[in-house]
Amino acid sequence: MLPAYEELVAWLPELLAGLTISLQVAALSLLFGMPLGLLLALGVIARSRILKTVSLVLVEIGRGAPALVLLQFIYFGLPATGLTLGSFTAAVVALAWNTGAYTSEIIRASLQSIPRGQRDAAEAIGLTGVDELRYVLLPQALRVALPPLLGFSILIFQGTSLCFTIALPELVSRAYEIGSGTFRYFPVLLAAGCLYAAVSVPAAILVGHVEKRAGRYAER
Amino acid sequence: MSQADIFVILRGLPWTVALTLGAFLIGSIVAVPLLAARESQFLPLRLFAMSLIQVVRGIPPLLWLFIIFFGLGMSYFPISPFVAALTGLGLIAAANMAEIYRGALKSIHHGQWEAANALDLGRLSTVAFIIAPQALRVALPSAASYLIGLMKETAVASTIGVAELAFQGNRLSQLTFQGLEVFAVVGLLYVVLSLPVAWLSRSADAYLRSKVAA
Amino acid sequence: MDGAVLYLADPPQSSQDRSNGGIMMEQGSNGTVIRLRALSKHFGAHTVLDAIDLDVRPGEVLAIIGPSGSGKSTLLRCINYLERPDGGTITIGPTTIDASMPVERAELSKLRRRVGMVFQSFNLFPHMTVLRNVSIAQERVLGRSRAEAEERAMQLLSRVGLADKAGQHPGRCSGGQQQRIAIARALALDPEVMLFDEPTSALDPELGLEVLAVMRELADSGMTMIVVTHEMGFAENVSDTVMMMADGDIVEKGSSNQVMRQPQQERTKRFLRAVHDR
Ligand SMILES: Nc1ncnc2c1ncn2[C@@H]1O[C@H](COP(=O)(O)OP(=O)(O)OP(=O)(O)O)[C@@H](O)[C@H]1O
Ligand SMILES: [Mg+2]
Repeated sequence: MLPAYEELVAWLPELLAGLTISLQVAALSLLFGMPLGLLLALGVIARSRILKTVSLVLVEIGRGAPALVLLQFIYFGLPATGLTLGSFTAAVVALAWNTGAYTSEIIRASLQSIPRGQRDAAEAIGLTGVDELRYVLLPQALRVALPPLLGFSILIFQGTSLCFTIALPELVSRAYEIGSGTFRYFPVLLAAGCLYAAVSVPAAILVGHVEKRAGRYAER
Repeated sequence: MSQADIFVILRGLPWTVALTLGAFLIGSIVAVPLLAARESQFLPLRLFAMSLIQVVRGIPPLLWLFIIFFGLGMSYFPISPFVAALTGLGLIAAANMAEIYRGALKSIHHGQWEAANALDLGRLSTVAFIIAPQALRVALPSAASYLIGLMKETAVASTIGVAELAFQGNRLSQLTFQGLEVFAVVGLLYVVLSLPVAWLSRSADAYLRSKVAA
Repeated sequence: MDGAVLYLADPPQSSQDRSNGGIMMEQGSNGTVIRLRALSKHFGAHTVLDAIDLDVRPGEVLAIIGPSGSGKSTLLRCINYLERPDGGTITIGPTTIDASMPVERAELSKLRRRVGMVFQSFNLFPHMTVLRNVSIAQERVLGRSRAEAEERAMQLLSRVGLADKAGQHPGRCSGGQQQRIAIARALALDPEVMLFDEPTSALDPELGLEVLAVMRELADSGMTMIVVTHEMGFAENVSDTVMMMADGDIVEKGSSNQVMRQPQQERTKRFLRAVHDR
């Protein structure tokens, strides 16, 4: 059942190339998605009605629909509007949207967790709304949000596996291709699983530590 | 998109619901022995459970389904797409529910354990009668939001051919070349499906809260 | 305690000439720094402030006493618009704000620059150093350079006896120290009036003393102060004027001697008896 050594050596370059694409898609999605999440979080709590509604709709769809459906909506659906994206771009757009929606909720919750007195004090010393956010609220909120944001980053990395469905040559696609070529599905998929776990498990352990430390910080 | 098209998509609904509830049920039950092992005094068992949870969560759901359906099913023993999806998602749900139970257990004040010890209740009775009822209440909101997450996760079953919502959407979009509307409707259906769960969770939470307060 | 009085920047004045104003400031008409007219606030159907009129002279130290829920905090918070009043006017120096009209940000910022506030729970910014807590508003609101702001912040920290804490984070400081830092932070904008909302209530009596010492020094230097307090000693000995509030109304107001020793109103007598019996 297990892959033979020679097989592994033969597959590894292909699988690693896939892993690289998975990591690239994840990194870019987070890079665009997290700032988007911040903007959406601010949009949802904004006073402007239009801003609020637009942000809410983007957030609710981005988290309410499965990432797989978002991906297919953008890759297979958008061309109808004349906008055709390559599978890599479509993957980044969909996962960044998904990231933005989730992280906006994380950031919003962490903003709300900051004691009311911090706002009072910031306003009492005359800081404007923007300065209050920039110097008082966000630095504290992001510290609270860090562990869940890191945890979500792992999910997005795993979420890149969905790009199999839009023919992006990431890790699962490559493993599946090797499997259908050699009919050695189990060993090659298992190898791909090990590569995912090799990234996700240490990352999850790390996040666990950050979480514990953040908990200690909060107690002080 | 015609009304008939929407009916085509809706044909996926029972599969999505069955897969979600089935995997959740399996997960909620399997999570109990898994957590017991995770918290066991016997180190090898504890290590085994801990690594199992980590590894199950460390591999994407889609790949789990592939490993089970293509890896095991195609090569060793034939398995239907639905059973493969149910097994994979049930396994993932078990790992996640074990973590949810664990978080809830940890949130129970240790004074409750001490009080139970003072009454000389055994470990099993303490858990069964004192800790678990309180922990379940704490676990409920996370479990409910996990149920919603799991429901969206079931969309990956479309990739191994379970005829659920995303699968129907996919097929319809290939038939009609109207991906935009089709996937919008499918996405909306998932949002709509999550509403009753969220509502149920809120009312169950309020009910349990009032019971504790009384 | 390390005797903050030792760090006086200005020599204390006797309380007699304090009311003449030890420091120069812009004044509204009739020599008041703060003038409230018909200030009202409701939470739903509940009237928390019932058309409050109040004048505070330059250099005056006004203590507000009264039972819990009488609206003392709400009054302070309305004065610098942390809470939006429903009606009435607030005049601070030359600036008048009509609560029944929409207020522009710029007006609000002018108002807040003239008013410093100290909270019961300190509300220091935990992620900034002590120095930054005191310098941030000078940079962002007054537009001072960082060097200037930090120099002034160091002066203020010395004044409250905490220059040695400048580089630390507030979480490392005792409650009394935190409250003194909060006072320095509020002083950083050179306000004309300082509002204190039960500044010692969250502190052990001993730590409360070091905060009270700083406040007494501030009073002696001629600062106009409104202090909500449960410290009857402060009301009696440091403040010039005492105001008793109940149910959103001013029950009575007079010199501290008079209100504390010979209260006229039954409500005040009852309150003072209850406090003394504790
Ligand atoms: N944000 C709010 N929403 C609703 N009611 C409020 C709010 N803030 C204050 N109140 C109510 O207004 C009344 C006055 O509150 P306030 O905090 O001003 O009293 P206080 O005199 O400062 O009391 P304490 O001595 O307990 O601090 C109370 O009945 C309180 O419940
Ligand atoms: Mg109060």
